Amino acid sequence: MKGEEERERIPIKERPEWADVRPVPQDDGPNPVVPIAYTDEFSETMDYFRAVYLADERSPRALHLTKEAILLNSGNYTVWQFRRRILDALNADLHEELQFLDQITRENAKNYQIWHHRRWLAEKLGEHVANKELEFTKEIFCKDPKNYHAWSHRQWVLQALGGWEGELAYCSELIKDDIFNNSAWNQRYFVVSKSPLLGGLEVMRDPEVAYAIEAILTKPENESPWRYLRGLHKNDGNSLANDPRVASVCLDVLAGKTDYVHALNMILDLLCHRHQPSKELKDAVDAVSPDPNLPDAGLAENVCSILKLVDPIRANYWEWRKSTVPAQD
Amino acid sequence: MEDEELWDFDSESLSFEKDRHVLYLEMMYQLLPAPYQGQEINRLTLAYFVISGLDIFGALDRIDKEAVINWVLSLQAHPKNDRTFENGEAARLNGSHLASTYCALAILKTVGYDLSQIDSEVLLKSMKTLQQPNGCFMPIHTGGETDLRFVFCAAAICSMLKNWTGMDCEKAKEFIRNCQSYDGGFGLIPGAESHGGATYCAVASLKLMGFLGEDLLSEKASSNVINVPLLLDWSLQKQAFEDGGFRGRANKPTDTCYAFWVGGTLRILQADKFINEEALRGFLLTCQSKYGGFSKFPRLFPDIYHSYYGFCAFSMLREPGLNPLCVELGISAIAAIGL
Repeated sequence: MKGEEERERIPIKERPEWADVRPVPQDDGPNPVVPIAYTDEFSETMDYFRAVYLADERSPRALHLTKEAILLNSGNYTVWQFRRRILDALNADLHEELQFLDQITRENAKNYQIWHHRRWLAEKLGEHVANKELEFTKEIFCKDPKNYHAWSHRQWVLQALGGWEGELAYCSELIKDDIFNNSAWNQRYFVVSKSPLLGGLEVMRDPEVAYAIEAILTKPENESPWRYLRGLHKNDGNSLANDPRVASVCLDVLAGKTDYVHALNMILDLLCHRHQPSKELKDAVDAVSPDPNLPDAGLAENVCSILKLVDPIRANYWEWRKSTVPAQD
Repeated sequence: MEDEELWDFDSESLSFEKDRHVLYLEMMYQLLPAPYQGQEINRLTLAYFVISGLDIFGALDRIDKEAVINWVLSLQAHPKNDRTFENGEAARLNGSHLASTYCALAILKTVGYDLSQIDSEVLLKSMKTLQQPNGCFMPIHTGGETDLRFVFCAAAICSMLKNWTGMDCEKAKEFIRNCQSYDGGFGLIPGAESHGGATYCAVASLKLMGFLGEDLLSEKASSNVINVPLLLDWSLQKQAFEDGGFRGRANKPTDTCYAFWVGGTLRILQADKFINEEALRGFLLTCQSKYGGFSKFPRLFPDIYHSYYGFCAFSMLREPGLNPLCVELGISAIAAIGL
């Protein structure tokens, strides 16, 4: 609790403006299960909340009380819902409410109710808060670039209120900051497929494949751009097999002789979709094989054997993949 | 002083400390410490973790089943409102919540209460009104975020009540499909980043609704509901070679609970044989607390959520003395059958 709450708290029963209200204690029944050791402050606040709630008192003091309750217990959806009712009844200044929300979101950035309330507000305020909402989520991302709630909110804002113009560039910025940020990659896919300004996946595929490849070459052990690359081809094995750049990046990674697990996984998928490997590719696989003289094994089986050794935690999986390799022509 | 240091070292134990965990659960059953007050709206969920946890340890004799049944039933919404469960006394003032209803039914099944004694018709009729046009579910009639968690709750509720009139399964299936990300995992809503928890909700729901056939891994099985091979690859990739634990999203730290969310997903797909169990066990033991229970990461204090999912994970790893689970329902196998 910050700001005005930092002053020492006066118990509600000692506040003259609440003298007319009889607090309603919690009724836990005779044999409560998993009782909680509430603090006095918590109990008292909720006792008074119950009173105004049951009386359906939609007043300024009730509004203030919901704020106190929220600060103690930001996950209580009953309190939030009642607060919304009061805000409506009082025709409150929703911009002020947004400011209050900014404050507590910063301290409770992983709370579902807070973000839901934010969406409710943004919906009411409409398009003209689109930029503010995008800026606010950016602020959250400065501290936690993978905050799931903030990303959901941001996607909602874009779709409901607009503001797509700078989004692809923002994704690039985040990926530049941390190439391993999977949330940023996910957002990139979202923008590329959904932005009304970009023309859709088909149109964007070429430049985005190039982008993914560059990221792969920078850090081949990074799962994100590999998934993204597959996603650009809608995970269609044939489509991937027919794009020469895909085999090419695998070759480049193998040639580096390090961090090639994902590359081998991709090669395996290509081979399982009838990709005809070049001699270069076969040689590159042999070069990382611990035993290049494996008799009679096809390239795909070889790849699985190598994977078992270089990605041992998934050895059972690679063994099973070996058994499901389709018969090569 | 020396003893204390040795004690600390010993707490990174090589063995699963069953007795300590049962004690931890018993303590939580008696009284949840003040820091849990921020979650009091979810008291049924906390109770579910404790009671189902004790059930996994075969230690339900430590609780008063009658008292539990009476308490849970006392939270059922009154007839003149809807008849689904509310969430602890605080929300008796309000309508019912899907997550609370799920937890309530799970608890009742766990302690052996006959669910046919519940008025399912009214409950399910009310629940159906929470389903959105796109197939997703809202948790509560007064509004709230809609996402896969509540689709799962709805499916589990229908399953436990053996009555599917509470939801339109086809619509739910469509929503789930739309949540599968380009990388094979599932996000909480369409477009969202793939996430272990969301993935469990998706796969468990499909399993409960009967949309996942047997033998999903076989070549002949072409699941046209979801992309299984891609999901399989995504899920297995979540086991970290660095420490053997599971992460919930690509390139994020490992965390105890994903051993259940992702491990459980793999179990439903009958692909848990591909998990490196030794490595996973090793990781989980570093998150085992000397006070009993589990924490999210090594060397933190335990909490009831990570403890419960840690216990579930050890059950799936066939730890001796632990009862097996019905993974898709989130309760013990025996509770699920209803013996």
